[in-house]
Amino acid sequence: MEVTILVQAIDKAFEILEKARSDEKARNEARELLYTSAKFTSETKFLAEKREARALLSGAQQTRLALRNFALTFFLLFAFWVLLSGRFDSFHFILGIICSVLVAYLSHDLLFLNVRLGDFRTRARRFFSAAPWFLSQIFRANLHVAYLALSPRLPVDPQIVRYKTKLESDISWVALANSITLTPGTITVDIREGEFFVHALDRKVAYDLNTGEMEDKIAHVLMEADHVYIQDVLDVSRIFGALK
Amino acid sequence: MTRATDDVIIRTVARVLIPFIQLFALYVIMHGHHSPGGGFQGGVILGASFILYLLTHGLEEAKARMSEAKAGLFSSFGLLIYSGIGLLCLIMGSNYLDYGKLSGILKVIPAQARSLGILGVEIGVGIAVMAVMFSIFFDITTGGDIPKDEEDLGEGDG
Repeated sequence: MEVTILVQAIDKAFEILEKARSDEKARNEARELLYTSAKFTSETKFLAEKREARALLSGAQQTRLALRNFALTFFLLFAFWVLLSGRFDSFHFILGIICSVLVAYLSHDLLFLNVRLGDFRTRARRFFSAAPWFLSQIFRANLHVAYLALSPRLPVDPQIVRYKTKLESDISWVALANSITLTPGTITVDIREGEFFVHALDRKVAYDLNTGEMEDKIAHVLMEADHVYIQDVLDVSRIFGALK
Repeated sequence: MTRATDDVIIRTVARVLIPFIQLFALYVIMHGHHSPGGGFQGGVILGASFILYLLTHGLEEAKARMSEAKAGLFSSFGLLIYSGIGLLCLIMGSNYLDYGKLSGILKVIPAQARSLGILGVEIGVGIAVMAVMFSIFFDITTGGDIPKDEEDLGEGDG
């Protein structure tokens, strides 16, 4: 959705500028539009801002997004029901369908808040290809912490690392925080204004964290790294302004 | 307590888990005759999901999802289902809540009709319990009056 908003905003801005090049009001309007859309994609994604951003989508896109969220939520919930119930007769299936539809209707806008249209298959594919890497990281960190714990002089060097992240949406932050916590040796203590406070067991673990590999993997899985860069948008608007 | 929490992790994990909590609550209600659970237990879990939403996302959004008026209506609706099924059995010519007589309407054997009848009653109980749990929590957190804006609540830990 962020890319869609930016592309639509750029199109609209060029439209406005093309219609009235010398009109000061139109230029200001176009500039305002570009800055606003850049702001939406670069600031932290709280729920209210997301709703405002969603209002920038056209009506048909909003409906498609809502339907897509509803359908995906329904399928996930029905799979969960079958897993819980373990009974495959038609009565319980019909009950499951009714319950999944009800819960999906109540809560469909909760689960897939930040996912752009058309993204889901890519994210699922990348998730399954990145999962083995995460498991191997956990395995290696396990060995390292076991070595620390079992050596007689206990060479731990506990420190809290302030880690500034380039990720943007709340799901990415939570995924990174949980991956860090799941990896033995590091625990995410707090997240404040885009900075992670991570408690690391010794310097090697803190160093592994600081290389940023886990963040890159999560950005790849959640398609954060595929964003249009904000600075490019602002440069484009400046260039267009300078061309007149 | 009625402000949205500042912590991103809590807020995000809560919003991702709430649909699954609600589905688990409905599972507990529907499978009351096969596994531990039933109407009251499922209703409590369902109410707890709305309470979790209130705790993590704040009063305004929780009111948008389930207002006090809706909670009141749902509690009466659940009671209506319960006593309605009982009355239906009475109308069919038997005792109150004697589900066997429902086999006339449902076109199944009396044993199956009893199973379906108690399931319907459990659903009514679940709805009523969910609404009442949420209403009680709502009244306790707001102290009976709704603040005009969040600043009236003073400093909370979110």
